[in-house]
Amino acid sequence: MTTTKPAPPSAPPSAVVHRATRSFSALAPQRTRHTLLTTAAVLAAAIIWAGVSAGSGTVLIQALVTGILTGGIYSLIAMGLTLIYGVLHIINFANGAMVGLAMYLTLTFVDGTGGMHPYIALIVVVPAMLALGAVLQAILLNPVMRAPLQVQLLITIGIALAVENILLLVYGPNPRSVALPGNRAVKIFGAAVELSRIYALVGAMILVAVLWLVLQKTRTGTAVRAVSANPEGARLVGINIKRIYVLTFAIGTAAAGAAGVLIAPFSTIEPTAGSIFNLTAFVVVVLGGMGNVPGALVGGFVVGLTEQLGALIMPGQSSLLAVFIVFLVVLFARPTGVFGRAS
Amino acid sequence: MRRHFTLAAAAGLAVALALTGCSGSAVSQSGGGASSSAAGGEIVIGALHPATGAYAADGQQMNNGAQMAVNAVNAAGGIKSLGGAKLKLATADTKGEPETGSSEATRLIQSGAVALIGTYQSAVSTNVAAVAERNKVPFVMDVSNADDILTKGYTYSFRLQPNASTMGSLGFDALQNIAGDAHKPVKQVAFLYENGAFGSSTLASFKSKAKAAGVKLDPVIGYDAASVSDMTTQIQQVSASGADVLAVAGYYRDGVLVAQAVNTVKPKLNAVFGVANGAFDQPQFVKDAPNGGDGYFNANYAIDRSNPDALALAKDYQAKYGETMRTSAAESYDAVKLVADAIDRAQSKDPAKVRDAIASTSYKPMAANKGPVHFNDKGENTNAGLIATQILDAKIQQVYPAAGAETKPVYPAPISK
Repeated sequence: MTTTKPAPPSAPPSAVVHRATRSFSALAPQRTRHTLLTTAAVLAAAIIWAGVSAGSGTVLIQALVTGILTGGIYSLIAMGLTLIYGVLHIINFANGAMVGLAMYLTLTFVDGTGGMHPYIALIVVVPAMLALGAVLQAILLNPVMRAPLQVQLLITIGIALAVENILLLVYGPNPRSVALPGNRAVKIFGAAVELSRIYALVGAMILVAVLWLVLQKTRTGTAVRAVSANPEGARLVGINIKRIYVLTFAIGTAAAGAAGVLIAPFSTIEPTAGSIFNLTAFVVVVLGGMGNVPGALVGGFVVGLTEQLGALIMPGQSSLLAVFIVFLVVLFARPTGVFGRAS
Repeated sequence: MRRHFTLAAAAGLAVALALTGCSGSAVSQSGGGASSSAAGGEIVIGALHPATGAYAADGQQMNNGAQMAVNAVNAAGGIKSLGGAKLKLATADTKGEPETGSSEATRLIQSGAVALIGTYQSAVSTNVAAVAERNKVPFVMDVSNADDILTKGYTYSFRLQPNASTMGSLGFDALQNIAGDAHKPVKQVAFLYENGAFGSSTLASFKSKAKAAGVKLDPVIGYDAASVSDMTTQIQQVSASGADVLAVAGYYRDGVLVAQAVNTVKPKLNAVFGVANGAFDQPQFVKDAPNGGDGYFNANYAIDRSNPDALALAKDYQAKYGETMRTSAAESYDAVKLVADAIDRAQSKDPAKVRDAIASTSYKPMAANKGPVHFNDKGENTNAGLIATQILDAKIQQVYPAAGAETKPVYPAPISK
């Protein structure tokens, strides 16, 4: 299903070392058209194949709808990851743990307020995570920003281990859950969907829009993009890059926090509940172009749909098999991701 | 202190490997001697469980269960044939990692453990069984169901719980009997399984039983338990197939996803039937699943609720640790009690003699069994049994076999209301 994707002639082999220079901005129209056409063709072929394998229209529609919805969840979780990578060039292994932490904060909020609506927890959890992200960057990561990559990597792994084990210590190992008032199933073209998952998708869209607006339309956003494109240049024009690093890591952590609140109602809340998405989130980030915020949304849909259609085409295999086949083919054809660009 | 131990164990292992070429019996015995003189006659039993990581809930319960067994033995006067020697539990955290399992098992043996119990995960137990065999120290598996751990001709490893293929075939029997008693015989089963070793071997034995009984098995859908985040498509497939029963072999988090998807899609089913499912008989599932998981069946190894001693144990556990005792904790309790009994009968803490005493055990366990524990020459408990539970009135109730049942099963089950 994926062999139809031709290698674009313009991708240089050195493109792996791409900077996020223009990945925050719109793509060249011709290239985007090319990518979208190929994606649409591959998707159509996969849908037909999956439909034939499933032998039932309802099952196929369910797979498509579920693919879009789980894709929304994946991109929601990947959003903070890609933002932090785009600006700080740190692969944040603590992203999943932060999502897990936000789930527990939601749980504590709902229990502590006598069963208030879990989405109201956003008002508390997002600022709390924003502050946590700022503190972590200022104290732990800023001092080592010039150190080799693995130093920052190990620090984020350390943060992840610390967060998960503190959660284990404080809340104990038993799984928990948060109920969403008024959550019920609705039908979309014969496919059954829980409302809570639709809300999470809407939340992902809003989050992308907000991040996009902040990055494109505000002075701070411009400074963030400047640091991402050229830290030395940004410093020369008087931008305090350490402060921008703190701000970006804080926003990235807050995005993980928002993701945690939105997925809490349909998740089993355990200390490792966020890190189970780590692998998928990395795939989403790379597919969408590392550092590309809208790309993460598209990357999420690609992974979600691949999982669902792949499970119909190759029954009995791990859904990750199809995801990684697509992943490898895309990396081979477009080393910078579907929507990433070489500088 | 712990780093010191690990270093010592690593160094010891390296020397042992270099000098004796992997025959480590001398090492374990000298280790045992050294430790017992230092510990003043205490007998150390090593417990390997995942106290941190994704399986910490069970791992911590299992350590608690093992500790309760040690306390019970010591309170009753210790090991009588050894002058009332006291037991001591040495716990090690496997973190759920096979490689940590083998290094921690080595460490426990080096520091004088006369027997090991564990480990909740088959992959970890596979490694620990190899270490136990090499060092000639007995290893009693409380929970670990993959068949092939005990098909390698090991003589020092034993398993209390039913293995995966036994659970598949006994699970099918339970389903067929429950449906037959309700005069709604099973016609077509949809089988949803996690595609690891546990789900696959449970499926294989369930399938051969179903084939022999003329029951259609379709569709058969595998999924990856570690990464799955939605089951709606799978349940839609089940609904489209017209199956009258959905059988599920999986773990906790995926079990909750199944319940959410069943509640969303509302397929016409007579039952959702867990086969050794890690969710459908957990007290937490009643809180996490839509409609409290009302009507869900599970055929699983379980605490024997027709045994007053087992009920008293579960009550003590609740009082001491403030949560409901899981079956896994009872299995760990049984493993320690069984080892203690063997040490008593062997009148020795020589691991080889303890092993022989374990092999001839007739211990009466707290977990539901067809009789006293009896190990065959492979180390499998031939009397390992399972029971079926159903969630009724927000309570997990034993419904099969009829002999120990708390109430009658409700079939067809009220799952899609």
